[in-house]
Amino acid sequence: MNISLAQSESRLGWKLMAPSVAVIVLLIIYPIVYNIYLSFFDVKLTGAKVFIGITNYERLITDTAFYSSLLTTAIYLAGTVMGTTVVGLLVALLMNLQFPLRNAVRTLILLPYFAPVIAVVFGWQFIFDPVNGIYNHMVVDVLQLTAKRHNLIGQPKTALFVVIIFDIWKHFPISYLLILAKLQSINKERYEAAAIDGCGPIARFFYITLPELYFVLGTVVILRLIWNLNKFEDVFLLAPNVQTLPVFTYYTAFTGIIDQGLAASISVIQFLFLSFLIFFYVKKVLKW
Amino acid sequence: MSQKRTFFQNVLLAVAVAAVLLFSLFPFIQILSTSLKHQFDWGNPSLIPAKLNLEAYRELLGLDHKDRAQVPQTIKKLLDNPLLTADQKEKIISTYQSTSDVFPFPRYFLNTFLLSASAASVSLFLAVFGAYALSRLRFYGQRIIQRSILFVYMVGGVLLMVPLYQISVKIGLARSIWGSLVSLLLIYIIQTLPVSLYMLGNYYRTIPYSLEEAAAMDGCSKSGAIFKIIFPLSVPMLITVFVYCFIIAWNEFLFASVFLRQFHDFYTLPLGLQSLFVSKNAIWDRIMSASVLTMIPVLFCFMFAIRNLTSGLAEGGVKE
Amino acid sequence: MKNNIIAIITTALLIFGPGIKAVFSTTIEFWTTETQSDRMKTIRLLMDTFQALNSDITVNLVPLDENNLPSQMAAASAAGYLPALIEASSELMLAFGEEGILNIDGTTKMVMQIGKNRFFQGALKMLETPESGRYYGLPYHGWIQGIWYRTDWFKKAGLDPPTTWETILKAARAFYKPKKNRYGILIGTKAETYAEQCFTHFALSNAASEFDVDGELTFNSPKMRETLEFYAKLANYNPPGPQTWRARDYYLQGKLAMFFYSTYIMDDLALAEVAAGSLTDENFPQLGTGTFDPELVNNTRVAATITHAQAAGYGAIVALGLVDQGDKAKNDAAQRLVAFLYEPISYITFLHMAPGGMNPMLRDIARMPEYLNDPKGIFKRFGREKIEEIISGLDSIGSFTIVRGKTFPEAGKIYAKQIIPRMIYAVTITGMAPEEALAWAEIQMKKVIGK
Repeated sequence: MNISLAQSESRLGWKLMAPSVAVIVLLIIYPIVYNIYLSFFDVKLTGAKVFIGITNYERLITDTAFYSSLLTTAIYLAGTVMGTTVVGLLVALLMNLQFPLRNAVRTLILLPYFAPVIAVVFGWQFIFDPVNGIYNHMVVDVLQLTAKRHNLIGQPKTALFVVIIFDIWKHFPISYLLILAKLQSINKERYEAAAIDGCGPIARFFYITLPELYFVLGTVVILRLIWNLNKFEDVFLLAPNVQTLPVFTYYTAFTGIIDQGLAASISVIQFLFLSFLIFFYVKKVLKW
Repeated sequence: MSQKRTFFQNVLLAVAVAAVLLFSLFPFIQILSTSLKHQFDWGNPSLIPAKLNLEAYRELLGLDHKDRAQVPQTIKKLLDNPLLTADQKEKIISTYQSTSDVFPFPRYFLNTFLLSASAASVSLFLAVFGAYALSRLRFYGQRIIQRSILFVYMVGGVLLMVPLYQISVKIGLARSIWGSLVSLLLIYIIQTLPVSLYMLGNYYRTIPYSLEEAAAMDGCSKSGAIFKIIFPLSVPMLITVFVYCFIIAWNEFLFASVFLRQFHDFYTLPLGLQSLFVSKNAIWDRIMSASVLTMIPVLFCFMFAIRNLTSGLAEGGVKE
Repeated sequence: MKNNIIAIITTALLIFGPGIKAVFSTTIEFWTTETQSDRMKTIRLLMDTFQALNSDITVNLVPLDENNLPSQMAAASAAGYLPALIEASSELMLAFGEEGILNIDGTTKMVMQIGKNRFFQGALKMLETPESGRYYGLPYHGWIQGIWYRTDWFKKAGLDPPTTWETILKAARAFYKPKKNRYGILIGTKAETYAEQCFTHFALSNAASEFDVDGELTFNSPKMRETLEFYAKLANYNPPGPQTWRARDYYLQGKLAMFFYSTYIMDDLALAEVAAGSLTDENFPQLGTGTFDPELVNNTRVAATITHAQAAGYGAIVALGLVDQGDKAKNDAAQRLVAFLYEPISYITFLHMAPGGMNPMLRDIARMPEYLNDPKGIFKRFGREKIEEIISGLDSIGSFTIVRGKTFPEAGKIYAKQIIPRMIYAVTITGMAPEEALAWAEIQMKKVIGK
């Protein structure tokens, strides 16, 4: 009796799951495997392909553009992950305080996260326009911090930093949300007890708040690493000259001297990185 | 907290809050401001337009009737052809005079809406059942499926760019507009299905088992319980997940640009916006007002679903 | 609610409706590089008229940015979805011809049908295949490039017009006042076609070329290096960072002394003047003295020839290219469309999209009163002589694709891969040494032409 109940439950489970599993296997798992397969071929846009073994990988590891893309990706990840976490934490601490119109403010600061990337990039480009933009107006004419106007988005080196700031602007709301949710769950009595023991606000932050947030901060860091490794639009649309791995893959696959096999092999390498991060996330954060 | 803040602390707090708000909202203010400025005012750093210019909005929404009457002499001559019927002439002229094809906002809006809504509906439909099985049933292979879903949830679309394109070329989907649209729809479904499964699964777990047990006592089957108990209870969450998927599809650019590049009439808003940028010499007011118009539906959804959305997002990892 | 659904379905039908018509007629695609919306409007009108006259043909009009055209063609070719007709610069047409996707027989037939002798011969030459008398494309319109400059500023500063390397550099240096947010010159430094267009003008004036008469690649030459070094020096007086033609807005705002542009600006400046009608000091109190100058049009002149080792003009021929569809019905439909586009009245309608910017490639059209009477009155203001001078200049413009009357389609392939723009970007923006950049470019060029 019990066995058949479990069996019927299992059968129902599979029935309900089957369509989703089919879609995922067919359209995600299979393409991932197919991508690995493609990376060993010279692939034309037409789909015609010639087996060339590991030549694509050999070409990659001897290509300086690939290394500079790796470096760009590393700086981008470091900057955005630290930035979104720190800004998210500070804003969460701030929004946890009482002040008038707090709910309205809490909602408004989520806007950057939900606005379509394409609808905000042109605004950002205009802000940093070397001749007409407000950034140069403020820095050069008003505050007189530098003597010359700079084309921050035009120059690849500085563009990377604009892209980082843009990402922080767009994604700090999400780390802020996660951190705030945790902050609100910390038992207030612990603060009061600590205050009675003579702890100041700074000590309370380090002894109570931070240890409590440890876990959620870890989650934020690793999730941002994972998502940002996959970011394409936010970089490409704002500053196409910043070649993080996804942008580099795109250029290789669809522009100039089109080489989809090479692009596939870049994707495979990125996929390996990603799998490692996800594995780490699952083991350390989710503790499965 | 019980402590009262000093005046200085209050000022500090106000400054901090204002700074955060400014950081978050300034780009929006800049976009709105430039969308209302006249071309000769762009070089002016002030955010307040010297003279309000609604031309751009009027043109994009097709409300501009200013140069209706002006049809150049040569064009009149061109149409003065005995082989053309009066009907045809009228139609040609009216197409010429309508400004809507510059950036056919209503059309792009509809394209994006249909695509996003279909993708969100399909993935929500699949997820309603899948997430139920994952979170409330025990079945053989459940753990591996659960982990695979988390895994694919984190594998971004960029990694699938080359293989998906190659597959659709191979089976001939990329050749026609319908094939491309189907490819795109499928891609949007897979971009949103894992997150739907994840968010809904998390939500289902919060529904007490006792409700289902009570229903079972009344002779309700497991599958019946989905429709009688779980489904009605999770309507707000279903809406939230739908909105979230909708926004993901609405904002998507990469795959749309790969698959729809040649099919202008089927552009989604993000693609249309990018092509608008090269459609005129002096473009800033138009591109900014198009940005505003593209943002509005998302902001509308956002207000509609804000409450559940924020808690939903805070609970699980978030897909982007 | 029900009404909404019906509305959605109806709209969907309206959008998807054209697909139904397609079943009964030949559908061809026409790709144009005229992406600007007001031009699109006129081209659409021409297509609508053509379709009304030829009910068995449907034309899908697709505007594409010239910089994206080569990769889009590659992708379309891969997907088996090539357009039947393209409108693009002669360089790109040569590149596509080299790829073997053009219908050269059909094109040559059309040239004969329209009348080979009616074409300006210089322009036709630029599209000739290595086998003489056969053509990759049909010259449709052309523009000339020049340095447009502020005569009032030059006069005040006592400077000579920018016609030689020395006078250009001197003026650029004199007007470069970054503290006042004013810049000396605008030349292309972003890795886009515009950079190559500006650079080629200087290279031609220094008698530097890509190929010699025997077809040997001689890009990395002392003369080319001298040109690149000069170009890099000039780029110091550009607005900050990588720039392209879009920065032309700065000129209209009075922040730029000189800029490279085609004769298209005649149209653009005229527009500015029209707009100026409503832009008085009363409407714009803070702008009246600052950024907008209603006298701008009168104070603007063009120097179309640059002289150094030799005097050189530069411009571009934009051609119509028939792409082989492998389907007789489609090839025929495209040829009928070409014939329609060369009929005087449709031709003039097309050219009037940008008077001065789009100049005719048929001698008789250039003299027609209908042509000289453009709707914006631009020819009247610039005068008939000026227009004739421009058009005759078109017959003698230089290009890397032609060396002493011989056409080198390989140069078109190099153009399509944007090697020169990337080289210019490397030198002016990332600070690569000119000799190193030239060596790099020559290696890339060899790869592209397969030598």
